[in-house]
Amino acid sequence: MTTLSPNVFKSELKPIWCPGCGDYGVVQALYRALSAIGRPPHEVAFISGIGCSSRIPGYSTAYGFNTVHGRALPVAQGVKMANPDLLVLVAGGDGDGFSIGGGHVPHAIRRNMDLTYLVMDNQVYGLTKGQLSPTSPRGLETVTSVYGSFEQPINPLLTVLSAGAGFVAQGTPADMPGLATLVEEAIRYPGFAFINVQSPCVTYGEDDQQLRAHKTRMKSLDSVGHDPSNFMQALEKSTQYGTELYTGVFYRNPNPPKSYDVLVRERQETLKPAAVPRERMLDMFLQK
Amino acid sequence: MVTDIVIGMAGSGGDGIVSAGDSLVSAAAREGFHAVMTKSFGPQIRGGESSCRVRLSTERLHNPGGALDVAVALNWDDFLKFGAELKVDGHTIVVYDSKTGIAPDKLPLVGVMPAEVFSVPLTDLTKSSAGTEKAKTSVVLGLLSGWIGLSREVLLAGLKRKFGKKGEELLAANERAFEAGFTYAAEHPMKKPLLMQQPLTKGMGKLLTDGNDITAAAALFSGCQFFGGYPITPSTEVMQLLGREIWKYGGAMVQAEDEIAGIGMTVGASFAGKKAMTATSGPGMDLKTEVLGLASIAELPLVLLNVMRGGPSTGLPTKPEQSDLFQACFSAHGDVLRPVLAPTCVADSFDVTVEAFNLAEHYQTPVIILSDQEIAQRKETVDPIDASKYTVLERRKPTESELQKYARFAPTETGISPISNPGMQGGAYLASGIEHNELGAPSASGAVHSRMNEKRFRKFATLHQRRDLVRVEGDPEAPLALIAWGSIAGVCREALGKAKAEGLPVKLLVPTLVYPFVEDVWREFLMSVKAGLVVEQSYQGQLYRMMRMFLDVPPGISSFARSGANPFQPVEVLARLKELSFSLQGRVSETQRRDA
Amino acid sequence: MATKGIDFAKLNLRDALDLAVLIEEEARDRYEELAEQLEVHHTPAAAVFFRKMVRVEEIHRSELEKRREQLFGKSPVMVSRAAIFDIEAPEYDVVRASMTPFEALEAAMKSEVKAHDFFAAVVPRVSDPEVKKLFEELRLEEVEHQQWLKVEMQKTPAVKDVPGDQSDGPNEQ
Ligand SMILES: Cc1ncc(C[n+]2csc(CCOP(=O)(O)OP(=O)(O)O)c2C)c(N)n1
Ligand code: SF4
Repeated sequence: MTTLSPNVFKSELKPIWCPGCGDYGVVQALYRALSAIGRPPHEVAFISGIGCSSRIPGYSTAYGFNTVHGRALPVAQGVKMANPDLLVLVAGGDGDGFSIGGGHVPHAIRRNMDLTYLVMDNQVYGLTKGQLSPTSPRGLETVTSVYGSFEQPINPLLTVLSAGAGFVAQGTPADMPGLATLVEEAIRYPGFAFINVQSPCVTYGEDDQQLRAHKTRMKSLDSVGHDPSNFMQALEKSTQYGTELYTGVFYRNPNPPKSYDVLVRERQETLKPAAVPRERMLDMFLQK
Repeated sequence: MVTDIVIGMAGSGGDGIVSAGDSLVSAAAREGFHAVMTKSFGPQIRGGESSCRVRLSTERLHNPGGALDVAVALNWDDFLKFGAELKVDGHTIVVYDSKTGIAPDKLPLVGVMPAEVFSVPLTDLTKSSAGTEKAKTSVVLGLLSGWIGLSREVLLAGLKRKFGKKGEELLAANERAFEAGFTYAAEHPMKKPLLMQQPLTKGMGKLLTDGNDITAAAALFSGCQFFGGYPITPSTEVMQLLGREIWKYGGAMVQAEDEIAGIGMTVGASFAGKKAMTATSGPGMDLKTEVLGLASIAELPLVLLNVMRGGPSTGLPTKPEQSDLFQACFSAHGDVLRPVLAPTCVADSFDVTVEAFNLAEHYQTPVIILSDQEIAQRKETVDPIDASKYTVLERRKPTESELQKYARFAPTETGISPISNPGMQGGAYLASGIEHNELGAPSASGAVHSRMNEKRFRKFATLHQRRDLVRVEGDPEAPLALIAWGSIAGVCREALGKAKAEGLPVKLLVPTLVYPFVEDVWREFLMSVKAGLVVEQSYQGQLYRMMRMFLDVPPGISSFARSGANPFQPVEVLARLKELSFSLQGRVSETQRRDA
Repeated sequence: MATKGIDFAKLNLRDALDLAVLIEEEARDRYEELAEQLEVHHTPAAAVFFRKMVRVEEIHRSELEKRREQLFGKSPVMVSRAAIFDIEAPEYDVVRASMTPFEALEAAMKSEVKAHDFFAAVVPRVSDPEVKKLFEELRLEEVEHQQWLKVEMQKTPAVKDVPGDQSDGPNEQ
């Protein structure tokens, strides 16, 4: 595959994100990753839910689908099953993915379609103006948790690892080229791949969750000698979500099983000879 | 000789009553009869009371019939639990197991004097012939074969298919039980024999299927290549059949984690360019509402089958009702129009499903099929299809030149814009639930919103003209009217026949396209109407109320509605019609007197 | 501010020039992105300044590119944008809706300081004398830019935007 210029993937729509929002870096990383993969934009389907982050498909020249809040994963799976040849990307916020859409996550993982799912985790609800999110740290004061929240945050990394995801990574636009590499790797992984992107909300996010803080806090998993083929190590590292800002691949299944879409293909091929002509479709009901 | 017969049987689940009904209806279909079979169960998962009704006829059937011609009770407690579903009246011949210990003149049927009663030593006959009590229904099949003249050979062949695989001994025992019943019938003839006339198409096997299975087959016929759904009674058979067959046609079926995911995947597959479908029932419909709106605004084709059951909430999961009409038409925030179609019988489910896919693809819209538990799960003989009679439409793809400067929601004259799909070069666009302009770019502008709303409504202009999607039967000038939709239309069609035979001036309107109203046809129909009934199986009479919302309804038209599980009988509709006719004559003569 | 996979001890002049071109290119592109963000968010004065920076960085870039072509022709470029990040480009989080021109200048100043510090840091690691000379030259250029920005800042009212002062809060959907 030849590489395409990242600009090929940039659409004419101008992002409406707040100036300085982390999502700007994410979309740049995406252009880069797609350019490295080299599939033309019309062979890419980019599906999202609702939220600031879910606006992202509109900013690429790929086929985009900005669906409803929390339902990006089901729609994306439908797309992939209908046309396994497509490169399917899914994106959304932490609320979209782990609150309203949380029920779909383990099932998407269970099915293991060849999809790449980016959660832009800003620990807060951006689009609806700063309410508590499922990844907000305990005690966070927001407009809906005025005296501090009682809830313990969801750990996205641990959640997807324990559900059986074959590729789990974390990145931040504070290291945009690194994020681009992760996205590229995720796309190349032949199955369900998850990236938790710590993408700061400049408008409602906490100070210690901003790009500046990321730059000092982030620690690459490589640098601490992490072995991404080691599931137990991955679990252990991922428990530090919220305290350590690790970047890189937590887990990559060294022996990826066949993905769902491949199995769908195979089944179609096997059963195709049993098809009857359309006009004889009702023969199966014949009582002879 | 009779041409039409309704048999009702009840027992406990362990008796295999429904399985006996299956044998009966399958044999009838093989013989070339028209047949309809419905079943009904108690709430127990297994082993509770169960019942079935089998109606056989030499003529085409529209419904499962009214009061029973033959009632078979293996056990009176079980039989009585089905109430009006197994209605016994003065013309019914009652057959029951004498082991119940109830005297023929002391039957627990309040105020009913059946035409003839047979207290048959069913249990004893079974034990002495088969050597076990477990073959009771084979004795029943033998009895029925003898009494109504349904081919002994065909029924025996059916037993062979059913028990052959389970061992020689079991088969032989059931065959002996069958013969015992057959002989008993020969030795105890009915006072007024009920022998069936042989069908004209004798020996020509018929197709036997139910509404769910034929809907699935119709989806495949239409080129459906994706189904995403979640199991729910009484719609699950659709996904079960597709899960077996769809792969052969390059498609996929997936059991989603819930109904939201089911329709989400379906929308996704449609976005990817495939004809796609999902199916559910009441509670699942509730969950699908949001994504349904997404399909409307993103203008993506999809077919959603709702097999109605009693509601709200879990309601009556195994009984039919027509109470989801409001939901099908109106459950959406925002201004939405989506076609709602309703089949009237099993065979009609095929045509309606093909039409649903056509409308969905042509208008780029979700289309709802409102079937109900009765149609969905009743077995019925249907004729083979003539494929050449059907057109199968595809969505309007963009041309090469349109792809040069592609606008997904281009404001065409018809309002229908060319639709691309991922993989198509030059066709990339953003589909979205957020309002968007002609190019698909999100917009918060009021002007764009009203412009796009107008487009999304304008595209249905030709749908409102689809006169063929409303069926009108009977004398067009008749002052008496019946209006019905879905399975109740079959009851009314039969009532219409009976009314005509009695010389009543009646006509019938049955909308296949229930919503939006094809107003011209309705208006013309209502013009001559002085009195009429809108017959519906719901508490509110939802179609009647919708008529009052969209049409000028003559004051003589009233709602004849009641909730599900208590089926309408053609004779009661006829009785109501007679009352109406009577009062109409009264009114007419009143005016004549005044005029004079 | 980071580079990846570049061994400065082994860096030759051609690659060093290409690296310099990419650093200017990154800065140019970033100013463009940020200007766009500000334009969409009704912060025109700061945007106008960032547009100016786009032109400035483009001039620097094309000058360096010309030099590279004179010396090495069109031979393939061996360094890639993936090797650098945020060298002279202002960081993504320097922009805010309704930021003032003065704040925009401050952001640019920070970037120039950053670039200066980058070259200052790598010069000692370089072994090729010509590369050393080039980087030293570039470092001094950054000092010049800083001076220019300082003058601009003196001409500009030192007003800062205080969030929530008068502007409406963010819109919701
Ligand atoms: C069914 C439904 N409920 C609520 C909303 C309102 N809503 C829109 S986005 C959102 C949450 C946004 O947070 P997140 O998903 O984390 O994305 P972000 O905006 O932070 O990128 C909510 C609650 C909606 N659009 N739909
Ligand atoms: S509200 Fe937060 S998440 Fe949304 S665009 Fe603004 S900065 Fe980004």
